[in-house]
Amino acid sequence: MTDQDAQANAPLHGILAEYDSPTAVVLASKKVRDAGYTRWDTYTPYPIHGIEKAMGIRMTILPWFVIVFAIIGLLTATALQWGTNAMDYKWLISGKPFWSWPANVPIIFELTVLFSAFSTLAGMLALNNLPLLAHPLDLKERFRRVTDDKFFLLIEARDPKFDESNARKLLEATAPVVLDTVKEDRSSSALIPRGLIYAGIVLGVASLVPFAVFAQARTAKMDKGRLHLVWDMDFTPSYKTQSDNPLFEDQRAMRKPPVGTVAQGHLNADDHLHLGKNAEGNWATTLPAGMQADEATMALGKAQFGIYCTPCHGFAGEGNGMVHKKASALGQGWVPPTNLHEERVRNLAAGDMYNTITRGIRNMPAYGSQMDDQERWAVVLYVRALQKSRTVGVGQLTDAERSQLK
Amino acid sequence: MATAASTTNPYNGPLKGDNAFAQITDNVSRIMEAPKPPLAWYLGMAFALSLLGIFGASLGFVVWEGIGAWGHVHPVAWGFPIVNFVFWVGIGHAGTLISAILFLLRQNWRTAINRFAEAMTIFAVVCAAVFPGVHIGRPWLPYWMFPIPNQMGMWPQFRSPLEWDVFAVGTYATVSILFWYMGMIPDFATFRDRSTSTVRRAVYGIVAMGWRGSSRQWHRYERAYLLLAALATPLVLSVHSVVSFDFATSQLPGWHTTIFPPYFVAGAIFGGFAMVVVLAIPARQFFGLKKIITMKHLELMAKVILGTGMLVGYAYAMEMFVAWYSGAMFEQFAFLNRAFGNYAWAYWTMIFCNVMSPQVFWFKKMRTNIWVIFIVGLIVNVGMWFERFVIICTSLTRDFLPANWGNFIPSPVDYATLAGSFGLFFTLFLLFCRYMPMVAMAELKAFIPEGHAHDEDDHH
Amino acid sequence: MSESKKKDEKSAPKAAPAATLKDNGDSIVLSDKAGGALNIGVGLAVVGLGAAAALGGGFLSPEFQHSYLAAYVWALSIFVGAVWWVTLQHLFGARASVVMRRVGELLAQGVGIMAVLSLPVVVPIFLGNDALYPWADHEYLNSSHILHSKAGYFANGFVAGRMVVYFLGWFLLAKYWLGKSLEQDKTTGDVAFYKKLQGRSAPAMIFFALTVTFCAMDLLMTLDPIWFSTIFGVYYFATCVQTFHCVLALTLMWLQSTGHIKKSVTPEHYHDVGKMMFAFVCFWTYIAFSQFMLIWYANIPEETHWFHMRLVGGWKESTLFLAATHFVIPFFGMMSRSMKRNLGLLRFWAFYLLIVSWFDMYWLVAPNLYKEGGTPGLVDVLAFVGMAGAVIATVVFNLKKKALVAQGDPRLQRALTFQNI
Repeated sequence: MTDQDAQANAPLHGILAEYDSPTAVVLASKKVRDAGYTRWDTYTPYPIHGIEKAMGIRMTILPWFVIVFAIIGLLTATALQWGTNAMDYKWLISGKPFWSWPANVPIIFELTVLFSAFSTLAGMLALNNLPLLAHPLDLKERFRRVTDDKFFLLIEARDPKFDESNARKLLEATAPVVLDTVKEDRSSSALIPRGLIYAGIVLGVASLVPFAVFAQARTAKMDKGRLHLVWDMDFTPSYKTQSDNPLFEDQRAMRKPPVGTVAQGHLNADDHLHLGKNAEGNWATTLPAGMQADEATMALGKAQFGIYCTPCHGFAGEGNGMVHKKASALGQGWVPPTNLHEERVRNLAAGDMYNTITRGIRNMPAYGSQMDDQERWAVVLYVRALQKSRTVGVGQLTDAERSQLK
Repeated sequence: MATAASTTNPYNGPLKGDNAFAQITDNVSRIMEAPKPPLAWYLGMAFALSLLGIFGASLGFVVWEGIGAWGHVHPVAWGFPIVNFVFWVGIGHAGTLISAILFLLRQNWRTAINRFAEAMTIFAVVCAAVFPGVHIGRPWLPYWMFPIPNQMGMWPQFRSPLEWDVFAVGTYATVSILFWYMGMIPDFATFRDRSTSTVRRAVYGIVAMGWRGSSRQWHRYERAYLLLAALATPLVLSVHSVVSFDFATSQLPGWHTTIFPPYFVAGAIFGGFAMVVVLAIPARQFFGLKKIITMKHLELMAKVILGTGMLVGYAYAMEMFVAWYSGAMFEQFAFLNRAFGNYAWAYWTMIFCNVMSPQVFWFKKMRTNIWVIFIVGLIVNVGMWFERFVIICTSLTRDFLPANWGNFIPSPVDYATLAGSFGLFFTLFLLFCRYMPMVAMAELKAFIPEGHAHDEDDHH
Repeated sequence: MSESKKKDEKSAPKAAPAATLKDNGDSIVLSDKAGGALNIGVGLAVVGLGAAAALGGGFLSPEFQHSYLAAYVWALSIFVGAVWWVTLQHLFGARASVVMRRVGELLAQGVGIMAVLSLPVVVPIFLGNDALYPWADHEYLNSSHILHSKAGYFANGFVAGRMVVYFLGWFLLAKYWLGKSLEQDKTTGDVAFYKKLQGRSAPAMIFFALTVTFCAMDLLMTLDPIWFSTIFGVYYFATCVQTFHCVLALTLMWLQSTGHIKKSVTPEHYHDVGKMMFAFVCFWTYIAFSQFMLIWYANIPEETHWFHMRLVGGWKESTLFLAATHFVIPFFGMMSRSMKRNLGLLRFWAFYLLIVSWFDMYWLVAPNLYKEGGTPGLVDVLAFVGMAGAVIATVVFNLKKKALVAQGDPRLQRALTFQNI
């Protein structure tokens, strides 16, 4: 049986009436609705206002479908943000809490709308049975004008109340432009064109390729390093610290800090404290401001003197420390350390003494890196105390101290 | 112009069809069916394609050289690209307003322009989306903005307004496309049914999904349309609000102010409508749509431009008043600097274009004159671009510490990218005009007088 | 309801200009039965406000002043909203609402009585009494540089001038719309008449936008003279639209239940009012959230202290309560289409939103006095009840003696037979 014969003998699908005004189709709908038919429909180029009531169409459930998806969207967005930013990788940004609902609301809102919109379109298409690419009505040439300017009404043969002659009589009474029968579509044995099937298979397989590539890339190990597409970023051209740089006069890549650069905490603006010099540039004669000649400073000075000075100068400052004893015993030529009670040393300005401790003199090394400024000044204070202990007269002692002498 | 065009322009001839519905169908479908579009389309396409080429070249150059090719320099870290982004996103909003909000307000005159306004939205959002994609330092890594599980165990920072942008603009683009596509299903069906070639019929048939105009399907379709309109309305408000959050959540004077969300939305609609008229006026001329997009539509759009322009002016006034009222020295300086500083010329351009030029629409003669509407539309577009420039760039040039002040000089690549973005927009738009239903035929038919079904007890 | 509508359509004349109003036999002038409602309203107002003053420690006490202000701005929002709505209907050339527009115009007349009721909070300013507004005491303005720089804004003359502009402006505008509408009643189908009003409504809307913004700022934002927010005017505006639509719905329902305009206003019209109520719940939420989130995010102390007061300590629960009752509950409760067409449900939500809007005003005002936290006390509730009585009285008073429907508007036909989406 050829396709044409098959079509000629196809069973009846329904009776089709054509109208050319919206009023006519609405009035016809009322009659068909009142006659009790259920499997019938009208086809119009645009939605006619009032035809829903005329046909007895009930309100669709689509809005409920959309609400469900809206809630799913809301929960998804909440779970997404909470799960990623507040649970999996807690990420503190500008002191905002991990779950900051004011900052989390915008995305919750957007995803709710997105899910709702998708479900609206998908739900509408699904409820409408679309896409529906084949339908018996497509065989009717005149039906093509349904999307232009003509209105149609179809009573399907499947309707329980259907009787061909009754249906015809009913529709004839509505004064259609044309009344026609529609047969089932037997015009082609293939439901879907071959080409489309082949295209679908090819596209389906092709769409899996990117996923396969990703899977392979994620699981396989590579011998070579990664692909570098942007050399400038992956291998930023830069000079190494010790290499030379022809752009500078001294050919060095490493640059000195500019003149006047000061390390943090090392401004050393107080010359009295750091250099032992007073405002006029002469050696200072007092402790620097901020330091008191008190028990604490004296104790500090004694301790530091004990650590650093006694090896050479001895515990009484006479210059007979252990280093002196051992060095002079070697007999290889040794200049003894200075006796701190000499008149010359007694007459040294405090700042001059401080300077000697800091920078060293002759054989004596510099102690500036081993004691900080205040410790060195404390040592100066202690040396002064030692010197005073040899020069003080009995008359300057207190009664308690005098009684100890006896 | 009209007489010469009518002999060569296939769209200016008389309409075929013996009733109003058929004439609408013919008026719109013949644009797609004509073997060759009019000369104006070719000229427009040539211009658009050359700009598009410039766009591609400048973007390629930026990706190759790095974003230093633009004029960005500290402290103006956000320059033209973000200005362009906000500009294009804003233009898109008018389309959604026309589709969704005017639908909810039952303004049926929208049916003449809603289809290509929606198309304008999609293309504007496409242009907008290019900029955040390219202005990140490594544009080959934009997928980091999405929560895709990765080997670093890292996730996007959802509390950042920039991340909100990703979701907002992404949702907006998606929903706009869904809405636009859904609206076109019945019109694709019309194209399918009128097609003479098999290829055309197959292509339009597939995208029409087999739509045959069943009233039961129309019922669900109408509900879905209403739902999408009801969803799109808060969405469009939220999108430009989220874009405004990019600035308002900061502490920068001139950026941090609570009125930004509704102000940006009003400004977006303002600029968008200006673009709609700039497109509608040539389109109706060259595509023969004067019977559908009538003077009445243009006049209504002019009124909307005036109204939203006043809203924008209100926001300017609020900002200035509260800057004074707050007593905050930095805020006050920011506004004085805008008006009298280095970029005062940009500020006064903005004031002239946005606040003053729409005032001509108070006069009926002005808002019913095609040339005036077109020129004011162009001026407003320029003004809205300058508004974003003033807000973004000038505020950055003068922030809290004078040690941090600097000047912004756009590079030639900046200008090329801006101009080129119009190329992308117009190319897509002209392709849409040629191959897709430019007017929502089905919706339009529903609202002409002939489309009304007269009941026996009906007295309309 | 649809049955009677069909009868309307049968008996109404076909497409004639509106020479005849409608043959649906509606009563369109307030009957004398309404006198009872007026008395109830006045009684409530006197008793409520009087008791509030007595219990609150006198008219000039901070307690009474704050309670009164919260109730007052709530009531004011209803009538300011009415002025806005009428202007908007003219601006958009709206047709569907024409049947309700006269009621809106009559409601808008209430701004006159509201101007008088503003005196208890406005007059103390000129007496230098800072029970409510700290800046009323001009010495306070010298206490910091910032306050000193805006002292000019708070000068007595400027404040008085602004108040006059707001209230007189609204009063005149409301009178103008009503006057023109009554004039239109005597015309038949004159399109040019309403087109002219449409043109006039645009500058009116600009005036409205500026006055509602500055009135809201003056009455509410300056309670804390250091704080500022550019969106504050819009926030109050959202409340105005909400409360007005609730009162519109309730007024129409009351009119219908007492035997007036029974067939003119249909569920189709109530559907529109319900849509606006829902839409502005969403809009209020949007504005409130934007204001809050931006200030929270930038975390600038001179702005955050206003919210800090309302989020930390005693006011925290009230803020959560506000968010739940002003957004979450009405959003879900008012979303469905059928709710807006069911008069019982609509009445419930109208009352609900009116109460919640008052709570919003309370939340704006009270924390300035009770800094550690609080809940509405007896004085607050008495002030609210009293003011509600004043609203009832104002509404009923203004509805008297005028036709309740804009008879002369040529668009009335379409409005009567209007069908919603």
